[in-house]
Parts: sequence; structure tokens; C-alpha cells
Amino acid sequence: MSPGDPISITGSILAVAVGCSAASLWLLLPRGEGGLREHMASRFGMLLGAVALALFVATGHRLGGLGDEAVFLVVSLVAVISSVATIVTRSPVYSAIWFALALTGVAGVLLVLGAQFLGVATIVVYAGAILVMFLFVLMLAQPTGMAPYDRVSNEPLLSAVAGAIMLGLLTLFIGRLSAGPAECCAVPSKAAALAAGGEVTLSAPSRPAIPADPLAADHVARLGGELFGRHLLAIEVAGVLLLVALIGSIAIVSRTSPEERLDLAARRADA
Amino acid sequence: MPEIDPRTLLVLVPALPLAGALVTVLLGRRLGPRAHWPAIISIATAAITAVLLLVGLASDVSEKASRRQPVPPVEMVTTLWQWVNVSEAYVPAANTPAAEVGEDLAARAAGVPASLPFAIGIDLRLDPLTATMLAVITCVGLLVAIYSIGYMHDDPGYARFFALVAAFVFSMSMLVAASNFLLVYVFWEAVGACSYLLIGFWFQKPAAAAAAKKAFLVNRVGDFGLAVAVFLLWMTYGTLNFHDTTLADGSLMPGILGAERLAATAGIVGGTVGTAICLLLLLAACGKSAQLPLHVWLPDAMEGPTPASALIHAATMVTAGVYLVARCAPLYVACPQALTIVSIVGATTALVAALIGTVQNDLKRVLAYSTISQLGFMFASLGTGTLLGFTAAIFHLVTHAFFKALLFLGAGSVMHAMGGVIDMRRFGGLRRVMPVTATTFLIGSLALAGVAPFAGFFSKDEILAALHSKGWSHHAGEHHEAVLHADHAAASPWPLPASAIQPASLRNERPPRHLLVSASAGEQVKATNAGTFRILYWMSLFTAALTAFYTFRAVFMTFTGPTRVPDEAGHHHGQSGSAAHESPRVMTLPLVILAVAATISGWLLFSTEALAHFLAATPSLAAATVAATATPHAFHFDLALQGTLAAALGIVLAAIGHLGRSSAGPQMERFLGPLQPLFASRFFIDELYAALVVRPLEFLALLAAGFDRYVVDGLVNLVAAVPLGAGAVVRRLQTGLLQRYAVAGALGTLLVVLALAWRLRA
Amino acid sequence: MTPSALVLNGLIVGGMLFALGLVGILARRNLIVMFLSAELMLQGISVSLVSWSRHHGDWGGHVLVIFVLTVAACEAAIALVFVLQAFARTGRLDSAAWQALRESNLPRSVDHELPAVDAVTPIFPRLTPAGAAPEPDEDALLEREHV
Repeated sequence: MSPGDPISITGSILAVAVGCSAASLWLLLPRGEGGLREHMASRFGMLLGAVALALFVATGHRLGGLGDEAVFLVVSLVAVISSVATIVTRSPVYSAIWFALALTGVAGVLLVLGAQFLGVATIVVYAGAILVMFLFVLMLAQPTGMAPYDRVSNEPLLSAVAGAIMLGLLTLFIGRLSAGPAECCAVPSKAAALAAGGEVTLSAPSRPAIPADPLAADHVARLGGELFGRHLLAIEVAGVLLLVALIGSIAIVSRTSPEERLDLAARRADA
Repeated sequence: MPEIDPRTLLVLVPALPLAGALVTVLLGRRLGPRAHWPAIISIATAAITAVLLLVGLASDVSEKASRRQPVPPVEMVTTLWQWVNVSEAYVPAANTPAAEVGEDLAARAAGVPASLPFAIGIDLRLDPLTATMLAVITCVGLLVAIYSIGYMHDDPGYARFFALVAAFVFSMSMLVAASNFLLVYVFWEAVGACSYLLIGFWFQKPAAAAAAKKAFLVNRVGDFGLAVAVFLLWMTYGTLNFHDTTLADGSLMPGILGAERLAATAGIVGGTVGTAICLLLLLAACGKSAQLPLHVWLPDAMEGPTPASALIHAATMVTAGVYLVARCAPLYVACPQALTIVSIVGATTALVAALIGTVQNDLKRVLAYSTISQLGFMFASLGTGTLLGFTAAIFHLVTHAFFKALLFLGAGSVMHAMGGVIDMRRFGGLRRVMPVTATTFLIGSLALAGVAPFAGFFSKDEILAALHSKGWSHHAGEHHEAVLHADHAAASPWPLPASAIQPASLRNERPPRHLLVSASAGEQVKATNAGTFRILYWMSLFTAALTAFYTFRAVFMTFTGPTRVPDEAGHHHGQSGSAAHESPRVMTLPLVILAVAATISGWLLFSTEALAHFLAATPSLAAATVAATATPHAFHFDLALQGTLAAALGIVLAAIGHLGRSSAGPQMERFLGPLQPLFASRFFIDELYAALVVRPLEFLALLAAGFDRYVVDGLVNLVAAVPLGAGAVVRRLQTGLLQRYAVAGALGTLLVVLALAWRLRA
Repeated sequence: MTPSALVLNGLIVGGMLFALGLVGILARRNLIVMFLSAELMLQGISVSLVSWSRHHGDWGGHVLVIFVLTVAACEAAIALVFVLQAFARTGRLDSAAWQALRESNLPRSVDHELPAVDAVTPIFPRLTPAGAAPEPDEDALLEREHV
């Protein structure tokens, strides 16, 4: 633990940022009041959220160059702001659209971090498949007009507080990690061992390292090699899992007989 | 005759009925209609044993005594086992006889504090008084048990009745044979319990259950007196034994009524404490013997079966009070005021009960009030404090047992034949229907009224003589003989009986400090309160006339006049005939035996003076203090004449009113006129009790019930309500909304992690 | 060894996404939005894992993210089937429709009356009638203002 003013100042600023973000979330979450009051609250919440984000950015760690900085900032802001919008929007369809945007932001972050395959996989799998499934369900199930349960939220204050505590735990203590891991929880990482200057005492065979350049050409090949080399069994199991999920979902759906479906439909009409 | 150890016989007398009771309890149901055999056999054997003891002791006494010398006291004590033995239990106060003993101990073991042990053994004693009582109890008990075979024939509780009768005979035998006050108290309660169970024998009947409860509660008042008296006796004398005992270190512990103390070397405590003890014992005796004001339970006790009434409430249990006072004669003689009070209570009770008895229409109630009245006579005689008075009371106790039991069993016979009806106004002229019962009942009535030569005449004459001698003590011829007796008592050293416990040392060398009673106190007793006793004498004479009146009123109403039988009669035994009939032989045989006893016992015992001399050998009655008051029991012709005239007056008045007339007519009501309500409500004594005692107690019970229900139960309910309330508060969290649960879970987990991280941040 | 700035920033972004997803699950009542928030949490996890993988320099994080992706897909499929079943039983996509676990003496919690959505009705200018009224468009009748 390196004592000193920068850390504690950073810590207090981060704490303020966390508090602001909690307040902004509380204000932004749907209250069910409607009208001018809720309008003003959401505007104020947005302001607070912007303040919180600014504080986070200010206390963030500086990257190498301005370009790197700008790119990372853009994609992370897109991800975060879209996520906020996802959870705050009244309409679930809009929420899904915002989620799609958040996915693009996340994909961008992953790409910046050097995970080429994963970034694209996120778009393809999530936005392409999972999100579309959500939209189909919404089409089947969403009532006409704004449902009352979309316009109220469940325990907004407590939820915001819980989110704030989670955020605080994750961000405030990241700073503590700068000092290195505790003795009890030292992870035998090759990088750490190399950095320590000692010999690599890992009994396992040396792992292929990630190429440092995010735009390396053989990134996917290496990933594939790793997957089908070291984790072959897991891949196969994952395939079986997908098959099981497919069969399972069909089985559950087909449980209801035509009479039950008519009955359920009639009940739905009454509800 | 083979040499049988009298101690064994003494133990057998109570033990056999106890065994009979236990066997009946265990096997009664299985024996069915033969359930009476264990009880009959055990009581019969006990009766034979008691008579053997009596005969043996009487011959022993007559060997040792002659007519002219003072009779030496005879007692034999046997200890079955040690019940309580606590050493160094009590440090006596100074100036009590108990301190005397303590000092000896301290003198012997220097430096050890003078504390007395509390030792109670199961001690049985045999002396003339006990032997007499045992014989009466067991013989009357046997006759009643035989009678009950016929009377309780169809009753579903047949075995239970015999078990209770046997248990009662055991308790009463132990009471009169006990040789210390604690055992007397125990068996005092035991006979009370047997009485409760027998009065409430038909407990499904609410009147019987209430009567049993009333008897027990009224007796309890007396028992309280007995308990406090026992405490005072212990504190004063340091022991509860009648007899002398030896302590562990060899020193002598004189019993309260033991030879040492009664030989006037240790002495009886008089004064305030002594009077308190005597009055408390009187309270106990009033409770048990149904004297004013605790007499209210005895008439109600007639709800029980008639044999039980005959045994318990005529012959034996109610005489326990008389026995107690007679046994504690030396204590009473030391307190002349207490003696006067005893006499006053007795004579007043006799008069009041006789007055109430004249208006009763229930045959058993008449006999109940008669019992109270006769017991009053006995107490009046006890209160004279002379040897004549004490022996006359016991004599009357014996004869009363016979003729009262006879009368009760006769009433039971009538009730049995009349189908349960005992109201005299509903039947009449039964001498034609039940000749044996009528004859024996007449004999019993003559004995009760005191007509010569039946038993009651002699015993009542003795009582009147005792009262007269206290009222007019300058009667010629008595003073001289009394002086003679006093000289004798002072001169001769006290001979100790052969089989008594030998004391380690005769304590003649040191004059005791607290000698409050001397041999001359007996003279004082004779002379006090002469005026009071004259009034009591005239009261008793008037009561004797009333006794004859109400007795023969009952006789004439029941057995003379036109024969009327109520409708309930004749349904008995399922016989087709509607006429009532004489009782079966098993019921009439005891009647005949008792009638014979009522006829000859008085004359026999009086003319030979056997009973008087026999009883005079009892340690309590042979004590220097009591014997010094002795008046010879000559036959006083003038007193006998007065008694006979009173009885004759009563009989004639009864004949005028009731002989030959139908019993349905309102004779007494017309005669009493405006006084009728007073008599009919028994002088409002029950109402007085209800107002003074019952209502406040009910109110207290209400308060206690309210306290129990609202405070005690309220507290418990409050304790129960706390988790309910807490649960009700917490339950509102369980809304069923899963997201709320998730929020709570998430917050909780995060807070825990936050706390851990905070701890680990350093 | 201190993680690089990129890694740290990535961790922060992942943390934010995760926290936002948590808030969404706890706060929103629409089942679809709840599942979207769950997916958001998984996105945050993915970002964190990739960051750590970059920090340690091996493929472990990447591999884990691939499996996370797979499992998320399966979970989404099954979960949406359940949502449809739930909708079939209750007629709405409300998590508060399922209150059967509550204590027997508690009343069912219902939403209080919400003010109506202030639908802005378009104000059309009133023109003088000219000519015949146009045929009503059936598609327009089925058109919904809000989704």
C-alpha cells in the first residue's frame, strides 16, 4: 500500500463519483409519477450521471497516446451510457435497442483490449441472435400501450444503493491492486514470474502468449489453437450443452396442448 | 393359657384391620358379593385380640390393687420403629420443663450446647384407657360391619365400603393406642379422612359431597388447634411423647404424661401457656366431637350410609375428642379456668343440641343431635376435673357407644324397610311391621333417656354426680374421704409399673425451679367455680329431660300409631308384596347383641365398680394431681331420683304429644308457635357461618381466580405473545415479491463484502 | 506487478457494466428488461475477464469468455421459453405477478393507480371540408402509437 495524497484524493473523488452515480440512477429509474416532476427528475439525473462519468474519467488511468485515449473513451462511454439507458427506459423495445448499442460499445472495448475474435463474436452472437430472440418474445408478449409495470420500478433507492456499493467495491479497490497481490493470494502467473526475474517454475508446459499487438494477424488462429488444443473437451461439452438447450426449450414449449393454449389465451384476454 | 406377648397383641389390633383394608382394596372387585370377608375377618380378629388385651390388663390391675389403696398406674409402651430422629433439633427456652432436660445434657458433655433431639417413634401404648377404647372400637366396628353386609347389599360400592370401614378401624385404633402427640395428630387426620370418604360415599349425590366437604373443613378448624397445641407442647416440654424415654447419652427425657412428670417431681406447666394448650386441645376436640360452635357438620354427615353414621358419628370417631381430653387430664387439672370452659362448652352444647333435636322430623337427624348432646354431657363431666368426672365421661362414652350404635342401626333398619325414606312424618306404627327393630330401638331409647336399669341411667347418673359434687362440694362424707386420699397421695412414693421404661436415675435430688403444680392443686380444682357448676348441673338436668322427650317422640312417631308405610317401601329386593318387612337376620343380629349390651353393661360395670377402678390405673388419671381430686363413687340416691324424674317427665310429655297419634300431624309446630322458625333453622348457626366464613372465603376465592386468570395467565400469555408479535412484524417482509428478496440478498452480501474489504484494506 | 492502465480502465468499465446490470435486475419489473440486465452483467464479466487475460498474457480469460458466451446463449433460449410460459399463465410480463410465496395474512400487493400516459394527441388543423372524405385506412387503424 503506497500511502500518499494522490491515492487518498483519488479515493475520495471516486467515492463522490460513486455517490453521484447512485443518485443519478435513483433519479433516472422510472417512478410511475409521470408529468413534469418525473421529467425534471430524469433531467437532473442525467446531469448527475454526466458529472459522475466526468469524475470517473478524470480519475482514470491515462493511456499512452491521445488517440488511444480518445478511442477508449468513446467506446467505453458508448457502452456505459447505453447500459444506463437500457435499464432506465420505460419501453422494453427501446431497452432492447439500447442494449444493442451497448453491445457495440462492449465490442469496441474488447477490440481495444486486443480481443479481436471476442469483439466480433459479441456482435454476432449477442446482438445478432440473442437480441433478436428477445425482440421476437416482445412481439409475442408485449401488451398494447405502456404497461403499468414498465412505469414503476421495484425499490429504486435500495437498488441504486446496492449498485453503488458494488461499483464502489469494484472501483475503489482496484486502486489497491496497484500495490500487487497479497502473499496469501499470489497467483502464479507467468508474467509475474518473468517480471520477478526468476525462473519459470510452472510445471505446466509454457502457454502460448497473446500477441501484444491487437491487430496481429494470427490472433484468431492462436485462439483456435488454444481452444481446440488445451480445451478440446470443454468445447465438445459446450456443443452438447447447446444441443441440450435446444432440445429442452422445444420440450418445454411443446408441453402445452392445444386446449391448454386456448385456455391460456382466453385467460390472457381477461387479464 | 399360653403366654402371648401383650406387645404382639397390641400391634395386631390396628394391624389386622389395616391388612383387611388393603386386601379389600386390592381384591375387592374380584371378590364381588363376598368382598366383606377380609374386613369382617380382620375386624373380628382384632376385636378378639382387643378383648383379650382388656381382660388380661384388667386382671393385672385387679391383682395389683385393692379398694382402699391408690391404684398404681399401668402402662406398656412398644416402639415399632423410629420415624424421625433429628439430633440437636431445638434449643429450649428458659423456664420451661424442656430446659431442664437440656441442662442435663450440657452438664454431661461440657461445652456442647444444650439442644434437644426431635425423635418420634411409632410408639404404641397399652393402658386401661387405651384398652377400653380399643375394645369398644373393634367390637362396635365388628357389629356394624356385620350389619353392613345386609344394609349395603345391593350397592355398587360394596367393596369400597368395607375397605373404608376397615381403614377407619385401623386409624381409630392407632389414634387411641398412639403414645405421642404427633402420631395422635396423624391419626386424627386419618380418621377425619375416613369420615370424609364415608360421608361422601355416594358422592354422585351433590348433598353428600357437600356434606363431606363441610365435615372435613369444619374438622380442619379443630385440626389447626391441635397442630398449634402440638407446637406449644413441643416448645414447652421438649418432647411429644406421653411416656418417658431415654436419650442417646443415657439421660432421661420425661414424657408429657409420663410417670416422672406425673409423680410431681417434674411437673406440668400451668399459667398462660398451659391454658393456651388446653384451650387449643379443646378446640380440636370440639371439631372432632361436634361441640359448639363446630357442631354444624354432624347433622349434615347423616348423608352417608347409616352403618357409617353408626360407627363413626355415634360410637367411635366423635369420641376421639373425649379421649384426647381424658388423656390430657393432668394438663387440664393444672389450668382450672380451662376446665371450667370445657364444662361450659359441653353443657351448653348439650342443651342447644337437645333443643334443636326436639323439632327434627328426620329420624337420623334426631339421633345426630342426640349424639351432639350426649357428647356435650361427656365434656361437661370432663370439665369437672375430678377423677369421678373423668371416669364418668369414659363410662358414658362406652355405654353411649352401645346404645347410640343400636339406635342408628335401628334407624338404618327402618330406612332399609321404608325404601330409603327416613322422614318420620311419612311412616308410623311400624312395631307391627318390624317387631325386632322396634323392640331393640325401644331398649336403646330407654338407655338413652336414662331409665333404670339400662346402661344410660348409670352413666348419666355418674355425670350428674360429678357436676353436683363440683357445685355443692361440701356434701357430707366426701370431704373426709378426699382428705384421706390426699394424705395417701402425699405419703407414698410413687410405685412404678413393672413393664415401664426404667429411668436411669430418679431425679429426686434437685428441686425443680418451675414446679407450678403441686399435689394440693387438686384441692383447688375441687373448690373453684362452684356457682358455675350449679348452673351447669341444672342445665344438664333439664337437658336430660329434653333427651328423654325427643327420644321418645321419635319412638312414638315411628313405632306407634296407625301403621303407615310410604310408597317407596316394597320396591326393595324386587319382592312382589307391597308390604314392608323386617330386616334380614344379618341386620337384626347386631341389633340384638347391642340391645343386650345396652341393657346389662351399665349395671354390670357400675355395680362391680370395675370400670372405675380399672380406669383409675391409667397414668393420666392416676396422676397425683387428678387422683387428689378423687371423690368416691358411691350411689347417690337423691341424684338418681332427680335424674329419673327428669326422664319420666320427658317421656310423659312425649307420650301426650305423640303416643298413638298419627305422625303426620304438626304437633311440635303447634306447640312452639312463634318460636318455630328459630328451632327449624337450628338457631341460625349455619346462616351465621355462611355470612361470616363462607361468603368472605368465596370472595377471596373469586379474587384469587381473577388473579390467576388475568395476572398469572396474562403473564404467560404475554410471554407467548412476544414471539407472535415479533413474528408478525417480521412476517411483513415475506411479500412474495422475488425482486424484493433479491434486493435484500444483494445488499446483504455486498455489505458483508464491504466490511471484509474494509478490514483487509490495510 | 502493476496492471497496465489499459487493463485497469478495462476493469473499471467492466465493473460499471456489472453494477449497472445489477441495478437493472433489482429495479425493473419487466421480465425482458430483467434478462437484458442479466446479459449486461455478463458483458461486464466478459470485459473484466479479457482485461485480466491481457494482464496475465495468456488465453485463459478469452477461453472463459467464449464459454460464457455459449452458456449465455443457452440460458437466453431457455429463459425466454420460461418467460413465454409465465406470460401465458398470467397474461403479462410482470415479475410482481408471481406473489404466491407471500405469507398468508399479507394482502396481495397491487400497483396504485398510475396517472395516464400523457399521450400527446396531435392537433390537426381544422380545414373546411372539401370533397368526399377519404376511405379509412385499415392498416392505420391497427397501427399502434407505442410499443
